[in-house]
Amino acid sequence: MKFSSLRIYALAYLLFLYAPIILLPLFAFNDGTIIAFPLKGFTLQWFSEMFANPTLGRALRNSLIIAVSSAIMATTLGIFAARAGTRFRFPGKGGILGLIMLPLVLPEIIVAVSLLVVLLGLGVNLSIFTVMLGHILIATPYAIAILNTAFASLDRSLEEAAYDLGESKWSTFRLITLPLVMPGLISSFLISFTISLDEFIIAFFLAGNEPTLPTYIFSQLRFPKQIPMIMALGTVLVLASIVLLTIAEYFRRRGIARAGGKDTGGFL
Amino acid sequence: MTNRPNMIEFQDVHKYYGEYHALRGITASIRAGEFFSLLGPSGCGKTTLLRTIAGFEDISSGAVLIDGKHMEGVPANKRPTNMVFQSYAIFPHLSVEQNVAFGLRRDPRAQSEKDSAVAEALEMVGLKGYGKRAAHALSGGQRQRVALARALILKPKVLLLDEPLSALDKKMREQMQVELIKLQRQVGITFVLVTHDQEEALVMSDRIAVMFEGEIAQLADPETLYRRPNSRRVADFIGVMNFLPARVLGEAGGHIQLEAAGLGQFEIEPEQAPGAPTGDAASVGFRPETLTILYEGQTATDRETPGTIDEVVYYGDMTYYDVKLDGVEKPVRISMRNVFGRPVLDVGARTRVAWSPGALVLFR
Repeated sequence: MKFSSLRIYALAYLLFLYAPIILLPLFAFNDGTIIAFPLKGFTLQWFSEMFANPTLGRALRNSLIIAVSSAIMATTLGIFAARAGTRFRFPGKGGILGLIMLPLVLPEIIVAVSLLVVLLGLGVNLSIFTVMLGHILIATPYAIAILNTAFASLDRSLEEAAYDLGESKWSTFRLITLPLVMPGLISSFLISFTISLDEFIIAFFLAGNEPTLPTYIFSQLRFPKQIPMIMALGTVLVLASIVLLTIAEYFRRRGIARAGGKDTGGFL
Repeated sequence: MTNRPNMIEFQDVHKYYGEYHALRGITASIRAGEFFSLLGPSGCGKTTLLRTIAGFEDISSGAVLIDGKHMEGVPANKRPTNMVFQSYAIFPHLSVEQNVAFGLRRDPRAQSEKDSAVAEALEMVGLKGYGKRAAHALSGGQRQRVALARALILKPKVLLLDEPLSALDKKMREQMQVELIKLQRQVGITFVLVTHDQEEALVMSDRIAVMFEGEIAQLADPETLYRRPNSRRVADFIGVMNFLPARVLGEAGGHIQLEAAGLGQFEIEPEQAPGAPTGDAASVGFRPETLTILYEGQTATDRETPGTIDEVVYYGDMTYYDVKLDGVEKPVRISMRNVFGRPVLDVGARTRVAWSPGALVLFR
């Protein structure tokens, strides 16, 4: 087998991507507080410590609440924008859609600081609700980008046909449009969920005293004793991501097969 | 057919898209039970006109009436029309049965009655036993049939067909043309077909409206349209027509006297000049099959003109000859059926062409 430079490049690339992640479970099960080779022995201590930690539980719960709510909100807003963008013509459409997509390229710290200033100015107390607002703001452009593709690839005459056959505009949307863009909806939900779950800057600025998973992990890095527990947490999160992604991919492929469409790529 | 009441009436219908004038004063009526075609090149407004019947397009001015009722403000889902879309618009996530039954969702009848209506509709389009199949697993022709069954199950007063056969291959298309004609006779519903295929329109329609640039250029039955097109443009769009420059010499005894390049002087009937041309700037047109190449020993029943074979195109059952009539630079096309024992002529051969003034049309 010939080792071309491209092959070496590809291998180096994969190593760079995955080597750190492979280290996670390695040290999560290592019986020692110092993150270094050689490995000492096998233990489940860090996992039991993790499950017993009340602050971590609270951070996890907060993060899940924020991620699920902002993913639902971003996807809902995304549906409205994507539908308007692909179906209707109205004055100023280009400008409006451009402005909606702008947070995609805005530095997050700018968004975080300006949101903080506005919220404090309005006298709103910082909580997981304010983090949610920030996450909806940054996740919505991603949701719109994904949903635009889903709505744009939907044949308009399908909706006209349902309307022509006596359905109302709303029942047409429910019976035809929604099922056919469902794979896009799931993608949008998962991407928004992921963006929110690991978002640090906005959570750091807007959460007040409430911990979220990323801010909690960051705070624990100061204590070397806690690092193996963080490794255990990382291992669980990686596993959860793989499971989630597999489920999403399963539904996406099933949706495409059911609609008889061509697979044009997805997560996996 | 002529004494049937009007099912659809267009009264001076205009449609603007911003500055663009898509429909320019359409006035026409479509009779009940008629197979009516809107024929024209792309962008002529035929699909727009069809969509004003369905209710998918508002009109800018004028009126559309269906079965004597004004359709202004009546949305598509409340009109007595159903549509077969160009892309068929089969719902890909539903089975064949669910697709066909879609329009019955709001029908108060019992489920068993609806089921038998679906089975009946599927049988009518030749898809008996296909009900449980996934819609996306069907071939083009089968999708077409599902779309028909789905639209006809609601027993609309008018069935609208937007280029329904354009996505099918030639064989399938010809088969579906015949089936559509039969189906239309069987159900007796008014069919309005949009097509850019003149042959399809001629084969299927009771009457055809030829449209150019948002206007109806001619509305007539297929034979009139083919034999007596009222303009060069219509003549050119429908089939092949040869044109020769001509001059109107005058009128005598109810006939028009003409002189045409390569054909000499002759007379025609007034109805052969639907465009009522006068003077020099006229032309005569004739179809390739109205001319005949004469072989050794044959004589023309009416008139004949000498010429030279310029090009030969052999089609198996037919041969198309381009013949330069003596004194005319542009060759005329003549189609001849290939009969056993009759040789195909060579390029450059001298020949005689038989023709008859009665087969001509005079254009402005």
